[in-house]
Amino acid sequence: MDKEALFKEIFQANSKKIYHLCYGYTGDDETANDLMQETFMKVWQNLEKFRNQALISTWIYRIAVNTCLSHLRVEKRQAKDELTDNIIETRGEEVSEKNEQVSTLYKCIAQLEENERIIITMVLDELPYTEIAEIAGISEGNLRVKIHRIKQKLTELYNRHERF
Amino acid sequence: MKDFEALKNIWQDQIALPKVSHDDVLKKVRKTRNGLTSRLLIEITGMSILAGIITWVWIESPFKMWTTHLAMIIIILCCFYYIISVIGNYRSLNSNHLLDKPEDYIIHLKRYKQERYIFNTRKYRIYSLFFTAGFLLYFIEISYMASFITTLIGFIFTFLWIGFCYFVLMRIYIRKEEAKLEDMISNLERLHKQFEDNEF
Repeated sequence: MDKEALFKEIFQANSKKIYHLCYGYTGDDETANDLMQETFMKVWQNLEKFRNQALISTWIYRIAVNTCLSHLRVEKRQAKDELTDNIIETRGEEVSEKNEQVSTLYKCIAQLEENERIIITMVLDELPYTEIAEIAGISEGNLRVKIHRIKQKLTELYNRHERF
Repeated sequence: MKDFEALKNIWQDQIALPKVSHDDVLKKVRKTRNGLTSRLLIEITGMSILAGIITWVWIESPFKMWTTHLAMIIIILCCFYYIISVIGNYRSLNSNHLLDKPEDYIIHLKRYKQERYIFNTRKYRIYSLFFTAGFLLYFIEISYMASFITTLIGFIFTFLWIGFCYFVLMRIYIRKEEAKLEDMISNLERLHKQFEDNEF
């Protein structure tokens, strides 16, 4: 398989989840697209090194996490307050309600610490814990404790948001 | 009241999709690579031409004083230092730390930002001092060769410009860089703490 075909396949298999990770981290659609693009540019540049890797998605996530981390926001508060409403297009009441829920969920994620945002988006996307631990560079035991806390924190934040 | 499973369902039902295709990524890769390479090439070529012209002037002109020869050596070395720095920057930009653990990557980022700061401030200061010294030494022989007025005008304009760059522009630049770096480092330190693998 030539490099472009391989890249296309990798992009199609991973882009959505990487976008979610970037969106969860930044809370902003445009920046998430930029960070996702940057991540895949780096993937393309390093593709030769990945050819023999069993779990290429782990490496892509690692690149995405590091790319997000190097994106140091100066206007940290702003992103949280200006979460865009264009997460999904409005198509009737049912979608509108879903839209609202997704928007609230992103708002709550934006209130977490950076590493918590990264971990929870991977948990929500159902990545195995071993893989998340490998990506975040922490032990599985430590990860489980962290996940437990983040889940509680996020649920609390969400329910508080829904009440008001 | 919703539990975490309910939140997971909301997350998985979302239809938020990236607006970037694999073609867009490849287009951007080509554009960026060309842009970066050509910019670097322009900088290196420009400085090499300057070093070449100075060397040619040095060889062709009948300079008699040792101060002028020393001036030429200093200025040419400054040009080479600039070229080496540009290449060094390019290499460190392309060094591969992307696959490091986030904790190590943050350490790398911190080190990189500090190195860039030192390069843009302390090293630039030494570079300007040497350049100024080179010009000073060069003007010694010029003062013997040219008329007093010509020498004076050349001297005044050259050193006014160097002084303006050093005392005005560079101070503003350093102040801004310092504030930016402080902000970046505190952010990186905060991130580093988050990723420390502490067992609870």
